[in-house]
Amino acid sequence: MATEFASDAAKQPKLWWWGAVAAAAVILGIVPTMTDISLQLDLSILFVFMLLAMSMGFLWGYAGILSFGQTIFFGLGGYAYTILAMNMGTTGLPFLMAVLLPVVFAAVLGYFMIYGQISDIYLSVITLVVTLIFEKSMRSTSGPEYVIGTVRLNGQNGIPGVPGLVLPWIGDAPLSIAGVFYLSGGLVLCVYVGLRMILTTRFGRVIVGIRENERRMELLGYDARWYKLLAFMLAALIASLSGVLYAIWGNFVAPEMFNLNQAAQVVIWVIVGGRSTLIGPVVGTGVIQYLSNWLGTVGVGQVTVVLGAILMIFVLVFPRGLLPTLGAAIAALWSAKDRKGRGK
Amino acid sequence: MTGLAVMLQTTQLEKRFGGVRAVAGVDFTLREGELRCLIGPNGAGKSTFFRLLTGQMKPTAGALMICGQDVTRARANEIAALGVGIKNQIPDVMNGLSVSENLWLAASQRFRGAQARRAVEKVAERLFLTGILNRLVGELAHGQRQWVEIAMVIVGEPKIVLLDEPAAGMSDEETARTAELIREINKDTTIIVVEHDMPFIRQIAQTVTVFHQGRILLEGLFDAVVADPTVREVYLGRAGV
Repeated sequence: MATEFASDAAKQPKLWWWGAVAAAAVILGIVPTMTDISLQLDLSILFVFMLLAMSMGFLWGYAGILSFGQTIFFGLGGYAYTILAMNMGTTGLPFLMAVLLPVVFAAVLGYFMIYGQISDIYLSVITLVVTLIFEKSMRSTSGPEYVIGTVRLNGQNGIPGVPGLVLPWIGDAPLSIAGVFYLSGGLVLCVYVGLRMILTTRFGRVIVGIRENERRMELLGYDARWYKLLAFMLAALIASLSGVLYAIWGNFVAPEMFNLNQAAQVVIWVIVGGRSTLIGPVVGTGVIQYLSNWLGTVGVGQVTVVLGAILMIFVLVFPRGLLPTLGAAIAALWSAKDRKGRGK
Repeated sequence: MTGLAVMLQTTQLEKRFGGVRAVAGVDFTLREGELRCLIGPNGAGKSTFFRLLTGQMKPTAGALMICGQDVTRARANEIAALGVGIKNQIPDVMNGLSVSENLWLAASQRFRGAQARRAVEKVAERLFLTGILNRLVGELAHGQRQWVEIAMVIVGEPKIVLLDEPAAGMSDEETARTAELIREINKDTTIIVVEHDMPFIRQIAQTVTVFHQGRILLEGLFDAVVADPTVREVYLGRAGV
């Protein structure tokens, strides 16, 4: 198990990594000029989901906390933005508040789970149960008494007409489709780079140490509970960012944001992509979402069954996920070629 | 000896498991600069006592003071943060990380930035780990892992070091080197070593505390303790020393 994770996450990334990030930024910049609106919409929602996947992948892969319920913060972020923006008539402040409010909830939930020293498996179960409780509660808010300010929660019908984000330095109009594309794509890049940088800081290195051996870190004098809580809150921040963007992208929020289907999808993205790298969950999201769209268009009725089968294959055959497995295969090929080269 | 500062003190410290008193009211004092060995037959309560001292277990009664602070109910990380280096019996390290990352994590609990990096370099040199700094700890041999952990314990320049059977599972040569290392650490650090390996204790011991049935049976210089008829009866006689 010693080599399951990259052991050099603490080091500053190499030059090629920065090159790749710059290339991704350039590609992100020119895509809207070369594509139609429908592709921009498809890619934007992919970016939104990539953020959600990164939130879980970071927490599971680097802090060793398996949360089945990152959708708690995804849904809370979406609903918070909707309710605040529709009540306040502006969008900038609601955007910030909606990203931060779920983090406060994460602090409370995380405090009870982590300082209560429940076992890892219970933490997974509790997060899943909490997201399902949110789904149930939101579904049962269809009556006229469920109003926050001027906004009716509408139960399982969800809330339509979520205002688009207005960025004051761009103009008075809400972000265009290309604007949402830039925002969500840019945030995927920023969060990715940000998390990579955090892993080189003392905080990042300490949480990796806790993942490796919590008791040893405690015996060294670190309060593991505090660091785990911070990691949990950071992951919640990314998930709520994803939820807010989801609401802006679709101008709509609904209890489905919290449901089992959504929660399970996050797990599938991360497992398929691999949790031992930050980019794994991003790639996993891309592959799985492309696959389910494609399966839908070619008329395979049972998309869920096919996705379930893919998950099973990955869990049993490639437990480390797509990217680490590919990486190991390339490394093996490379060294085989090397040996052959030397043999001549 | 009595003039030196008290580093660690227990008053009527007790730990019960159901009806069993594993540690049965121990009064124990450790002064600055000491190298104390806790010995005793299996089940004498010395490992439980070690866990109480390190906050890995909470006592049922009594009090524990370390560096003048009451830490009876403290967690292990709070005790460690007072400047106490702790090493359990089994190698307890971050297997998936490199030697240098393990040492850095230990050092940066106490030091920041360049100071932490310097502390790592210094301890690696002192324990001859410089050549393996980039290796994964999980890939090292048992003895090397023990030394990495000892390095982690001392890199933060603790005031007290608590070691539980540091030579367990080591070869004779490794044991001798470990003994030498412990004597060297003792030049500027107060140390408690829990051990039952008599030849090893002979190499390091000054003062020895003998545990028997959860209590302190006897305390004194190694030679005097070994010669004591009661000690020979409960422990050493059977060990054939």
